[in-house]
Amino acid sequence: MTVLTTQDLVIDIPGRADGRPLTLRVAPGQRWGVLGPNGVGKTTLLHTLAGLRAPRAGRVLLDDTPLEALKRKRVAQRLALVFQDRQDGFPATVLETALIGRHPFLAPWRREGAEDLLLAREALAALAVSHLADRLVTTLSGGERQRVAIATALAQTPSVWLADEPTNHLDLHHQVAVMKLLRERAGRGAAVVMGLHDLNLAARWCDHLLLLYPDGQHCFGPAEAMLEPTALARLYGQPLTMARVGGAPVFVPADPAPGASDDRP
Amino acid sequence: MPGVSPRPLALALLALAGALAVALSLAVGSVPIHGAELWAVFTGGGDPLHRELLLSLRLPRALAAFATGGLLGLAGALMQVLLRNPLADPYVLGLSGGAAVGALGAMLLGAAAVWVPGAAFVGALLSTVLVFGLAQGVGGWTPTRLLLTGVVVAAGWGAVVTFLLTLSPAERLPGMLYWLMGDLSYARSPWPAWLLLVPAALLVVPLGRGLNVLARGPLLAASLGVAVRPLEITVYVLASALTAMAVSTAGSVGFVGLVVPHMLRLALGNDQRLILPASVLAGGALLTLADTLARTLLAPQQLPVGVITALLGVPTFLLLLYRSR
Amino acid sequence: MPRSPLFRALLQVLGLVSLAVWARAEVCVDDDVDRRVCLEQPARRIVALSPGATELLYDAGAGDRLVGAVSFSDYPSEAKALPRVGSYKRLDLEAILALKPDLVVAWVSGNPATQVERLETLGLNVYRGEPLRFAEVADTLERLAVLAGTEPAGRAAAARFRDGITELRDRFAGADPVTVFYEVWEEPLMTVNGEHLISEAIRTCGGVNVFADLPGLAPRIGTEAVIAADPEAIVAGGMGENNPAWLTPWKRFRALTAVQRENLFFVPPSTLQRPTPQMLEGTRLLCDHLERARARR
Repeated sequence: MTVLTTQDLVIDIPGRADGRPLTLRVAPGQRWGVLGPNGVGKTTLLHTLAGLRAPRAGRVLLDDTPLEALKRKRVAQRLALVFQDRQDGFPATVLETALIGRHPFLAPWRREGAEDLLLAREALAALAVSHLADRLVTTLSGGERQRVAIATALAQTPSVWLADEPTNHLDLHHQVAVMKLLRERAGRGAAVVMGLHDLNLAARWCDHLLLLYPDGQHCFGPAEAMLEPTALARLYGQPLTMARVGGAPVFVPADPAPGASDDRP
Repeated sequence: MPGVSPRPLALALLALAGALAVALSLAVGSVPIHGAELWAVFTGGGDPLHRELLLSLRLPRALAAFATGGLLGLAGALMQVLLRNPLADPYVLGLSGGAAVGALGAMLLGAAAVWVPGAAFVGALLSTVLVFGLAQGVGGWTPTRLLLTGVVVAAGWGAVVTFLLTLSPAERLPGMLYWLMGDLSYARSPWPAWLLLVPAALLVVPLGRGLNVLARGPLLAASLGVAVRPLEITVYVLASALTAMAVSTAGSVGFVGLVVPHMLRLALGNDQRLILPASVLAGGALLTLADTLARTLLAPQQLPVGVITALLGVPTFLLLLYRSR
Repeated sequence: MPRSPLFRALLQVLGLVSLAVWARAEVCVDDDVDRRVCLEQPARRIVALSPGATELLYDAGAGDRLVGAVSFSDYPSEAKALPRVGSYKRLDLEAILALKPDLVVAWVSGNPATQVERLETLGLNVYRGEPLRFAEVADTLERLAVLAGTEPAGRAAAARFRDGITELRDRFAGADPVTVFYEVWEEPLMTVNGEHLISEAIRTCGGVNVFADLPGLAPRIGTEAVIAADPEAIVAGGMGENNPAWLTPWKRFRALTAVQRENLFFVPPSTLQRPTPQMLEGTRLLCDHLERARARR
């Protein structure tokens, strides 16, 4: 069980003012959604939380140890990041890709053992991509690759999940499956932080929300407290209407105000 | 299990191919030496001329060819992972250009042939330091920046090489041109190359899995616990040293470093733990075989070894590529 | 070539013109590509486009008429002071034109053909030389002397060369053959075939070039081929005029006849590797060496 905390954290986005430093505690079992308009720094925040980018100020701690005091390998044994973009290096098969999730746990001279292989195969099964095990990743569809990426993180058995748009490219069925998987991980004590552009996914699957505003301000708290239509309208610069479907809140854009600009894709 | 197991069979087959190539290289030449005589020499007897021929001519050359091929294969495989660019080869960062300037400069100044490998080695290292320093730039280096810097520095060396060729007297030109083509007849002693190749081949084994992860991209690698920058610097320094040694042993032999790793990837998949040692063995076997053919096909005339490596490698590679997914 | 009436008329006109200038001491020779080179009067300003041509011109008595030479024209030592017009591979056409030469001596296989043609289209007289035999070296001396108006000196030099070679040839005509490997270059190992002037020097001394039958004037060979041929004598040039270092590596092959009898000989490269009268000196040295080899049988 690992607690992820930030102390007076200012993420480094070139050309942007510091804004308000973020001091946040993500406890085991919590599912956080990071919301905000495009370009506000959701990805940068997740990368900073993972230690891949140096913050401009403040620090990130895993339990009580600052990230920079930990070896990358130690960090990777406890924290996994699902990237929004796939980087295409040399071609590799799906199973090989899932197996690299075991990298942090193996000494340089050791090969993957039966246990690692089992974890990788289970992860592929959990994401319903077992049948693709011997395919080259480069030959897969966007959605299949996304599921392989999540399977890789699953094989990494992290206690902190950072997932940048985990439902990217996924159709509805797989969106639900992935969100259920993350909820199930949280239920077993993982801390989960997701960057999401879809407000309704956040409303449905997250128990805590962090709202990032373009001016560098932020607010966070339990989901039900944060899902306030006026606050969310200010976040996106878009009037919203809320409805409830099966008990969960659903937000839809209200009629746009005359002349209001809309930069959402 | 495909794609994951170490496949010792593949490595064993490649090692066998290498051993056969060396054996062939010992058995053929302008002076016919028959099997029994070969055996006699290696068991301490035999005709003195044959002894001398085998032990001080064919054996050192075969060993030098194998080591050079191994160095180039390994350096090529490492460069391709480092730059995450399939077109990368050991020379892409200007190393051979620097070595050529060193070697040709020494030839132009009339240095004895003994000094040429040293001059080539110094030139190659100088080029490495230059490219690395320039690619640092303001914001640290990236593979793209390294590649661009290397390509431009290589172009600069190319101009200097042309300039040196222009300055040189007629009788020295053939020697210089043959050096540029790469040739095992320059190999004086195979031992320096082996002294570098063996530890390097052992060192890359524990690096292999990290390189597998690095090949997926530096951010993903970092998130999986790879110390990306130290690993990249290690690979760069290692590949540079390997290439510098290869070039100073035999001139800039082309083709092996580019195509051997690709052939192996097409045939064996992309696990660096397999590809890196396999590149050593396959590069060594290919160059030994090519050099044997180069010196015997039109004997007593000698062909440039690059012609044979291309003749053997191009069709094999294209066939593998054609049959690949 | 078409023999049209017009062409014939043109020839007649040209003939008349040449008759008209005959009075002005026109000089003509055929060069090594069988073109006729004619000057209205003996050349006074000559540019030589190879170190060998420079040397031949000095030997033909025309040294004081040389006004330009290419880099590495270092023999005789006066040649070092001549203005340079580029290297033999890349000529500085402007520098050549600026010297206003009335004769340019080019090197067929060495100079870029297009640059030499360009000199011709710019109105310069070009003699193209490529002496491939001892006889042609002597002929070239005479022809250059004709063009330079120094015939007595040229004839004398040619005669000295011819006589010297003939003397050697006569002396060694009946001598026992000695098999010879001549090393032009060490890395890569290069020799000469039977067409090469050096091979003629070997023949003159009663030697047999073991690689005479290879194609190409200067073929690349392997060390093992030399061992297989087991020549009686190994003769090498070197990186300098007095640097027999190339002979040393052969000594480890103790089974070689040449090594056992210590028949490893050095001949300064400038005396054998340029097609000039210096070859007489080099050939004499070579003959002495081969005599020594015969004595060691």
